[in-house]
Amino acid sequence: MAYVDRPSGLSEFAKYGFSDLSGTVGKLDQLVALVGDSGRSAIAALALCADPDQALNSLLDFAERDKSATKKLLNKHETAVRFCAILGSSKALTDFLRRHPDALSIFEKTHEIALGPQHYRALLLESVAKVLQPGFQSSDAWNILRKAYRLELLKIAIYDVTAENPQEIFSTVGAALADIAGAAIEGGLAVARAELRYTNDHGNFTDEEIDATRISVIAMGKCGARELNYISDVDVIYVAESGSPAVESHRAVEVATKLATRMMRAMDGTSTEPDLWQVDPNLRPEGKSGALVRTLDSHVAYYDRWAESWEFQALLKARPIAGDLELGDAYVSALSPKVWASSGRENFVESAQKMRERVMQYIPANEINLEIKLGPGGLRDIEFTVQLLQLVHGRTDESIHQRDTLSALDALTAAGYVGRSEASQFSRAYKFLRFLEHRIQLSDMRRTHLMPTSESKLRPLARSVSTKTTSEQLLVEWEKLKVQVRALHQSIFYRPLLSAVAKLEGGSLELSSTQVEDRLRAIGFSDAIGAHKNIAALTSGLSRRAAIQRQLLPVLLEWFAKGTDPDAALLAFRRLSEDLGESPWYLRMLRDATGAAERMTQVLSNSRLATNLFERIPEAAAWFERLEDLAPMTEAELKLEFNAIVSRHEQGETAAASMRQIRRRETLRIAMGAVLGELSLSQISQGLSDLTACYLRGMLDVVIELEGSSVYSDRPREILDFGIIAMGRFGGEELGFGSDADVMFIYEALPGVIPELAQKTAERIISDLKKLAEDPFLEFELDLDLRPEGKNGPNARSLDSYRAYYERWSDTWESQALLRAKPIAGSQALIDAFLELINTYRYPKELPTSAVMEIRRIKARMETERLPQGADPRRHTKLGRGSLSDVEWLVQLMQLQHGKDHPSIRTPKTLAALQACVSEGLIAEHDARVLSEAWTFASRVRSASVLWANKRTDVLPTDRQQLEGMARIMEYPADSATQLEEDYLAFTRRARMVYERLFFAD
Amino acid sequence: MDKQTDFVLRTIEERGVKFVRLWFTDVAGTLKSVAIAPAEVEGAFAEGLGFDGSAIEGLARTYEADMLAMPDPSTFQILPWRGEIDPTARMFCDIQTPDGKPAAADPRNVLRRALAKASDRGFSFYIHPEIEFYLLKSSQIGPEGPIPVDNAGYFDNVPGGTAHDFRRRAVGMLEQLGISVEFSHHEGGPGQNEIDLRYADALTMADNIMTFRTVIKEVAIEQGVYATFMPKPFSQHPGSGMHTHMSLFEGDTNAFFEAGSQYHLSKTAKHFIAGLLRHAPEITAVTNQYVNSYKRLWGGGEAPSYVSWGHNNRSSLIRVPFYKPDKGNSSRIEYRAIDSAANPYLAYALILAAGMKGIEEEYPLPAESEDNVWALTDSERRAMGIQPLPQSLDHAIKKLEESELAAETLGEEVFSYVLANKRREWSEYRSQVTPFELKHNLESL
Repeated sequence: MAYVDRPSGLSEFAKYGFSDLSGTVGKLDQLVALVGDSGRSAIAALALCADPDQALNSLLDFAERDKSATKKLLNKHETAVRFCAILGSSKALTDFLRRHPDALSIFEKTHEIALGPQHYRALLLESVAKVLQPGFQSSDAWNILRKAYRLELLKIAIYDVTAENPQEIFSTVGAALADIAGAAIEGGLAVARAELRYTNDHGNFTDEEIDATRISVIAMGKCGARELNYISDVDVIYVAESGSPAVESHRAVEVATKLATRMMRAMDGTSTEPDLWQVDPNLRPEGKSGALVRTLDSHVAYYDRWAESWEFQALLKARPIAGDLELGDAYVSALSPKVWASSGRENFVESAQKMRERVMQYIPANEINLEIKLGPGGLRDIEFTVQLLQLVHGRTDESIHQRDTLSALDALTAAGYVGRSEASQFSRAYKFLRFLEHRIQLSDMRRTHLMPTSESKLRPLARSVSTKTTSEQLLVEWEKLKVQVRALHQSIFYRPLLSAVAKLEGGSLELSSTQVEDRLRAIGFSDAIGAHKNIAALTSGLSRRAAIQRQLLPVLLEWFAKGTDPDAALLAFRRLSEDLGESPWYLRMLRDATGAAERMTQVLSNSRLATNLFERIPEAAAWFERLEDLAPMTEAELKLEFNAIVSRHEQGETAAASMRQIRRRETLRIAMGAVLGELSLSQISQGLSDLTACYLRGMLDVVIELEGSSVYSDRPREILDFGIIAMGRFGGEELGFGSDADVMFIYEALPGVIPELAQKTAERIISDLKKLAEDPFLEFELDLDLRPEGKNGPNARSLDSYRAYYERWSDTWESQALLRAKPIAGSQALIDAFLELINTYRYPKELPTSAVMEIRRIKARMETERLPQGADPRRHTKLGRGSLSDVEWLVQLMQLQHGKDHPSIRTPKTLAALQACVSEGLIAEHDARVLSEAWTFASRVRSASVLWANKRTDVLPTDRQQLEGMARIMEYPADSATQLEEDYLAFTRRARMVYERLFFAD
Repeated sequence: MDKQTDFVLRTIEERGVKFVRLWFTDVAGTLKSVAIAPAEVEGAFAEGLGFDGSAIEGLARTYEADMLAMPDPSTFQILPWRGEIDPTARMFCDIQTPDGKPAAADPRNVLRRALAKASDRGFSFYIHPEIEFYLLKSSQIGPEGPIPVDNAGYFDNVPGGTAHDFRRRAVGMLEQLGISVEFSHHEGGPGQNEIDLRYADALTMADNIMTFRTVIKEVAIEQGVYATFMPKPFSQHPGSGMHTHMSLFEGDTNAFFEAGSQYHLSKTAKHFIAGLLRHAPEITAVTNQYVNSYKRLWGGGEAPSYVSWGHNNRSSLIRVPFYKPDKGNSSRIEYRAIDSAANPYLAYALILAAGMKGIEEEYPLPAESEDNVWALTDSERRAMGIQPLPQSLDHAIKKLEESELAAETLGEEVFSYVLANKRREWSEYRSQVTPFELKHNLESL
């Protein structure tokens, strides 16, 4: 064996992996002084280990303590390599060696570790058996047991860190770690039995009772699956029976409970040899509040009657590890059929999703990117995918009933549920991540799954992958792997859903229809057969579209499954796809654009309004590609487009048809932006109000200027100047989806025209306008009820008629309605004259007390009379307690009272007026905030309701699913129906209090 | 839940139980009961018992009338007053909506929510109430008002008296129901008795209080007398309060205790007291929920009318009792406003929430009042910043209406139901023409 001589320069040390270069020179000299030349040759062994600096420091320490033992180990290259490898990778084991120098002899030879649970149980039992005599001290027995455990742990660690390819032997290491954990528990039980037998410290039990007690320890989780970490809680469940007719089973359970408790102290109680790990019995029936030990019958009864789905998932890995193995086997065979039937249970889908979300929620935000286990693309992703597949298909297929992840993955592959290449990538990723986790834990024997951040810890980790790997390389590789794991989840779970109907490239994998439908049901499709048909339609055939959809659908299916109604969303996608056919832009967008496909699934899953409009305007799918396209068109842009239509067409009807199409298209655009959360409430209402105004103006132009209308031939431009006044929420530019457009019409006869002719013409214009603006596909309703005299008044009035009317008859409610009047069509002169006229009424010099009283009285009456029969006033979003009308009436009352002296509050917009009232000191800022919160929330609820259901309603729904759908649109997390309800009721309750205080205040 | 469930099913079998009553409490605090046959119990555990919630005060909105009562097996008890013929048992229920979510309007759920919130911060809430009530000869009202069974006073031992037998029998029954009694004695008024229950966690205690009221009524019937928890049945005698001692625990440690500080009160305890003081007026409509409750609060005697705290000061709203050096975990405070007719689930939820608010926002503890607060003049009280509690139900409703704390703790449903219910009571009360008016006005006007 050629030993390396002492390096000549510092850079040599760097090559060997040291980082403290100059310090190393001195340390090596010291070592040589203590142990002679073997100290120099140690460099070769140090160069192979993960952390040469740390290993050298420890070597020196050992040499100082015991020259000859250290020298002996360093003399032989093989023993030196083993020794340095442990010193360089585990501070905790180094400390163990300091406590127990006799353990150094372990390094003298290699050790086999695949010896099986039986071997280790016997070994550890034997180690402790000799001290278990009457009068023994518990702590002595614990110390002996723990040391025996750690000696085996040391052997496993040596095997692991000196392996040629440590990632490949992961299964062997994980199994051996589980075996020694089981053996330690077995030893602990022996100590506990002896404690009960020889002392009365833990209760009075006869020998007969102790002997008759059969207890079995069932491991769950990683220990059950024989894929344990270096340090981890060991999840267990206890089962006990009496083995003798003379001892009743409840007595045996008492003894067993004591045995279990004392055994756990043997693992974690304080003593000179430190504790091993926690035994965690909290997965037992009823968790922390349940009995620690139960009889087998009691376990079975619990799982039959009470257990929740996730508890069955936990049983998947159950395995007897200590105590009465026969009883343990009986436990497993009694419960395992129930595990496999669990995916048929009602709440399986929900609980599987929750299980996953729960895990994600518990990770602190600053750690999520460091999580090897729980972060995205981490170990949990792999384990979850494998378990989900086992549960979905294991109901009918016994060949995949494996406990540990890698064997399960192999079995799933062999049985044809997972493709070979995906399986091998998955398994490689799993081994690599587990390897990292093992090495991180080995260092300090601390239970952590976080990638270290300090260079001093990262470097040894990278070197343990291979001595040539740098920290940066390790991180880059890990990041790549995370991405890969995430993608693999899709291609393993979702891609095969297509296989039954479409030949996949390179696809050796084919699931049967039943298997596909099992999977679809498991992720939340309630009509799995229908969904399967839709998938078939989307992916079969040789077209380019089918080919691309085959690529895309696995991802889409996962996203659909996250929405509120996956079945409907998939169907909508199928329709859209059939409409768009082979449009190259569509396929390219789905395939290439980042986020486009996800945005599409979000809209299709959450909005029936948008889904319906898509059927008319499939080409709108193009906007998913660019978020900028989802911004509502500005008024100027809309105007240009509508004007262009008028100038391009000669026939009114065709022009009107184009305009209707624009309105549908732009409504869809705003709806998409709203569902995707790209638009604020004010952007939505501004967009819809602009659109409505331009639409009406455009239609008015069509009526007046194009052939086909009843007035066209009369040349209306020579008869009158015609204008439209937006009122109500339209005037305030606060329209929501599905709002009526409140308007009034005004005209001014041109000089020399007989008034009757002008009136007649105006009325015909209105009737034409109403007819043309109607749209069977996207309802449009003009509401003229706010005009003078309401329903009994003429549809149109001349400016003079308005003037005469307001002078003589005007009611207070009409002045109030005028506050929100906003002219949107007509000549500037007409508009100016109208505004001048109404300003004297809506901003009166003084509002008489009688008028204030009348407004208050009307409002009070409206609350009882206009509310539909039996409606809950708290849930009515328009007229209900603290909802829109409360806020609006309060604002309007202030405008009537103070508009004259405070011009800044003169605006038809509710929120703007409220804000101005704050600036003018008319209302306290806090009150204004409460009011605008309620107003905004109620408006959002109304919009969300139309977007979700494509149906307008004035009442907050009580149906849970509908609330849930609305909550998603309002950007609540899943399962927030109750929260949405609670929030709505709270916002409006607060607003009502402010309203009552201010509206009736003098 | 299976160990408990097994126990229930086994006991029903072994004891030959003929009926099982499922109990729950409506928002007003009235106990509701539905009896089922033993054969139906297993099904009730698994799927709950369906009933029409709209028929129960405040429980359900009409459109979700279908509700489920889910029996809580840990509350199973054989009812002792039924004797050995046709033994009857009872369990308390949680109310759920048909989709398995806790019903928003179930008072038990309101308290569970409040406890869960405290538990998120590591606290559990323990309670020890002193429940006062009157024993009357019957429910008939005599010419001078109700007729008490005796004319004894505080701690009096009445030889051969009804009250003595009564308490012995009642305490025996309570113990049989698993409710430990700390103390029982004759109270200040004629026929007035007090029984103190040994401390328990708040949910168990609220259940216990509901059971307690039933037991007292049953024993009274058995002994041919009548028991009432009405807050103030006699204008000339003290009312029936339910002074409640309370403490927060963090694990096994009393979070109110701090060695060496004044009265051994920890910072947590001080903030809790401050929270309870600040929010006391707004929760009074729940802790003292009837028109009659305010006759007690403002009727002198020992009732606390003003928001103040003190060490062993019997005029304070919150009293910090003498600390017993040998009982490290006995640190507690006593809230003295609540009366025996409160809905304990809602009242304790609000009291806890008020205290927790004080802890969360670290309210400073106002100065202790050492004087007898009643003896001060109005101006003195004003100078010392001592606020009165609401003087009438109407006044209390106004305070409750504005309470964000109450709305959040009770949930919007219960909150608005309570308000509507209390407004109705007040308006019915107001429309009375009372004997007082007739006496003073009829002849002179």
